Amino acid sequence: MGGKWRVAVRTPVGACSAVLIVVVGALAVLAPIVWGAGAEATDTTAIQAGPSAAHLLGTDSLGRDILLRVLVATRLSVGLAVTATLIGLVAGVLLGIAPSVLPRRLGRLVTSAVGIAVAFPALLLALFLAVIFGVGMQGAVLAIGLAGAPSFARLTQTLAASVAGRDFVAAARVAGVGRLRLMTRHILPNIGEPLVVNATIGAGGALLAFAGLSFLGIGVQAPDYDWGRLLGDGLDRIYTNPAAALAPGVAVVVVGLAFNLFGETAAAMLGTRTRRLRPAKPAEPAEPAVRRSPARPVRDAPVLAVEDLRVAFGPVTPVRGVSFTIGAGEAVGMVGESGSGKSLTALALSGLVEQPGTVTAGRLEFLGTPLPGAPQREVRRLLGSSLAMVFQDPVASFNPTQRVGRQLAEVSEQHQGLSRRAALGRAVDRLRAVRVTEPERRARQYPHQFSGGMLQRAMIGMGLMASPRLIVADEPTTALDVRVQREVLRLLSGVRASEGAAILLISHDISVIAQTCDRVLVMYAGRIVEDMPAARLREGARHPYTRALLASVPDMDTDLDRPLTVIPGRPPEPDRMPPGCAFAPRCPRAADRCRSEDPELSRSEHRVACWHPDERSGGPA
Amino acid sequence: MSELVFDAVSVRYGRHTILREVSLTVPSGATVGLVGESGSGKSTLARAAVGLSPVTGGRVLLDGADVRGLARRPVQLVFQDPYGSLNPRMSIGESIAEPMPRGTRNRREEAARLLELVGLDPQRAGVRPAQLSGGQRQRVALARALAARPEVVIADEITSALDVSVQGSMLNLIRTLQREMSLTMLFISHNLAVVRYVSDIVAVLRHGEIVESGPAERLLKDPRHPYTQDLLDALPKL
Repeated sequence: MGGKWRVAVRTPVGACSAVLIVVVGALAVLAPIVWGAGAEATDTTAIQAGPSAAHLLGTDSLGRDILLRVLVATRLSVGLAVTATLIGLVAGVLLGIAPSVLPRRLGRLVTSAVGIAVAFPALLLALFLAVIFGVGMQGAVLAIGLAGAPSFARLTQTLAASVAGRDFVAAARVAGVGRLRLMTRHILPNIGEPLVVNATIGAGGALLAFAGLSFLGIGVQAPDYDWGRLLGDGLDRIYTNPAAALAPGVAVVVVGLAFNLFGETAAAMLGTRTRRLRPAKPAEPAEPAVRRSPARPVRDAPVLAVEDLRVAFGPVTPVRGVSFTIGAGEAVGMVGESGSGKSLTALALSGLVEQPGTVTAGRLEFLGTPLPGAPQREVRRLLGSSLAMVFQDPVASFNPTQRVGRQLAEVSEQHQGLSRRAALGRAVDRLRAVRVTEPERRARQYPHQFSGGMLQRAMIGMGLMASPRLIVADEPTTALDVRVQREVLRLLSGVRASEGAAILLISHDISVIAQTCDRVLVMYAGRIVEDMPAARLREGARHPYTRALLASVPDMDTDLDRPLTVIPGRPPEPDRMPPGCAFAPRCPRAADRCRSEDPELSRSEHRVACWHPDERSGGPA
Repeated sequence: MSELVFDAVSVRYGRHTILREVSLTVPSGATVGLVGESGSGKSTLARAAVGLSPVTGGRVLLDGADVRGLARRPVQLVFQDPYGSLNPRMSIGESIAEPMPRGTRNRREEAARLLELVGLDPQRAGVRPAQLSGGQRQRVALARALAARPEVVIADEITSALDVSVQGSMLNLIRTLQREMSLTMLFISHNLAVVRYVSDIVAVLRHGEIVESGPAERLLKDPRHPYTQDLLDALPKL
């Protein structure tokens, strides 16, 4: 938390707002103590004087120093604005939560009343209320406060409604928690942050409104004075001494700005805090670009060759030296727990790791072209034409406002220069290729009219708009049911057969990979710990982690009388890697050497990184 | 003695029928596994039992009494997403203590006991959910459900957001609780292998209707409905 604030303060807006808030706060507290007497002192020798050395901004009609009065007025001006905002916030929150706590009819009444009140401009409402409450400071505070209440009420309702839909609120209801407690314990604490941010920004508005009321003479009354009153007094003499009017005006602007900037900073900071730590997946997959394919590689040259690939976020390295190759038309599976670095590896291959992540590799060649060295445009063209990506969530990967056919067609229109009609024709053809029924009709539909499985197939179809040499599918079936999963996996295998594309299938489910792939790469804590033929997984796996993974998946033959095998403990955090083998703390076979020396991946057909691999199946390590 | 009966339960939202006269019995001390695909109405059935979805036809009965009329909350639900089902602003101890019946003495000790029961360190009662892994959060959610001293626990896809390796220990925990507390449970999952591991009875839901139900062993070995057969065939095999 403290760290976040420190980072926020380092941004230009954050720094500005921090300085301003501190200065304003100090002035509000100290100015009346230090200069209070001075601001009241009348100088009969200099009545309505212009700026001079003695009075930097001149004096008023009683010969009082305007600069001192502006400084001293900080406390009252800011204090009134903050009080009014608090009144508005409290009244607004009460009104906002009332509909959920009150009986239904009464609640509806409150909601409609708030709806009507929101329709009026707040300042108009404030003027109206000020007249009702009567001229004077108290009346004005109440007026401005209550005038702000409807917008806070509406905000509270909206935020509360979004939180009320979350599972923990449902859980509390199931637990029999009362409506009032539900509000105070579960909903309000979770909407506090945006409310406070809005209140801060609202305080700027209240300050302005207050200055307005005082300026009009229905706010602060003599002998008290705030910036609005000083402004009113100064305005009479704006042609003789402009400083007398400008100074309080500037004060209002600066402090209003301080509140707003502070609110913005807080909003930005709190916004980042709620975001997940995982690197964001791009909404769009790498678009297959130009059709004109680069010199076709020799059949047995690898499609992808990776050596010592690392992905780092500052000091943390979630991918720690991954090496593998994918042959032409080969289906390779990558399995591991969440956090093992498998998705990051996929993103790194396709150049989609976002800042502040950095990707380094001893070798990273796609279709024989080294990616890190090649010009950006070349890389994009190559990846665009020959690499397709399929993500876990097909719903998030499509633009909900565009027809599916259009989104597929756009790829060819943009990169292959096809006409609108020809591109749409190809889109329909590709939808048919991924076995979307009635492709002509489906192409005219929107993503929400597709089921999840159908949309995932359309996503694969989008990858096939060009002719990919490699399809990277990152958990393509995790969001899908078993039957749909089977369909999508069959489709991937079919595409591989018909298009000759290689596949890198990433999944946390080792049985999905075993079923679909030729070869398995097992990832653990940012490294490949085993690389072996998928067909031999059951009996041939040698790394204790692979064996544990296999054993922990229940299937239809699992012994019901024994507990399931589990892997004790948790994977190490990427910033706290043990010195030896990363799996050693959880490994039943770990010995002293495992805890001090990190095993290298052996160089053979069946690669394994372990000092004590399971030798049940034999074969050289 | 706590038998949960869905008696011809229907749930409609406008013109959409989510559940069509579903009848299902969860016998006392037994676990019924409910299988079905997304959109089949599994979660709606679970939510109907705890009053979170509107029952438009039929009744949900606990030992013969309509659950809607019961003062206490005898049916508790564990949600799928452990990241959304715990209040991020409450410590896990507070979350667990909340549903405890009125008059529970020494809530703190009881919370510690429940944490221990689900395999978490009772010393950590003060931490917020953000400091826990997904599997640990799901254990807290389970402890919270048990804190209400429920007659029946409904587990709605409680392992599908977890890694396979974590799923195993969650399932083991469920088995231990079944043994030690003779839990009555409705266990919902789309994964037949998972359902098989914890259930005595299996029911298959499709498009809001139960297409087949019976003793787990019999049903999974010898499915009579082609849909059940297809679900079994679709499981990836190692």
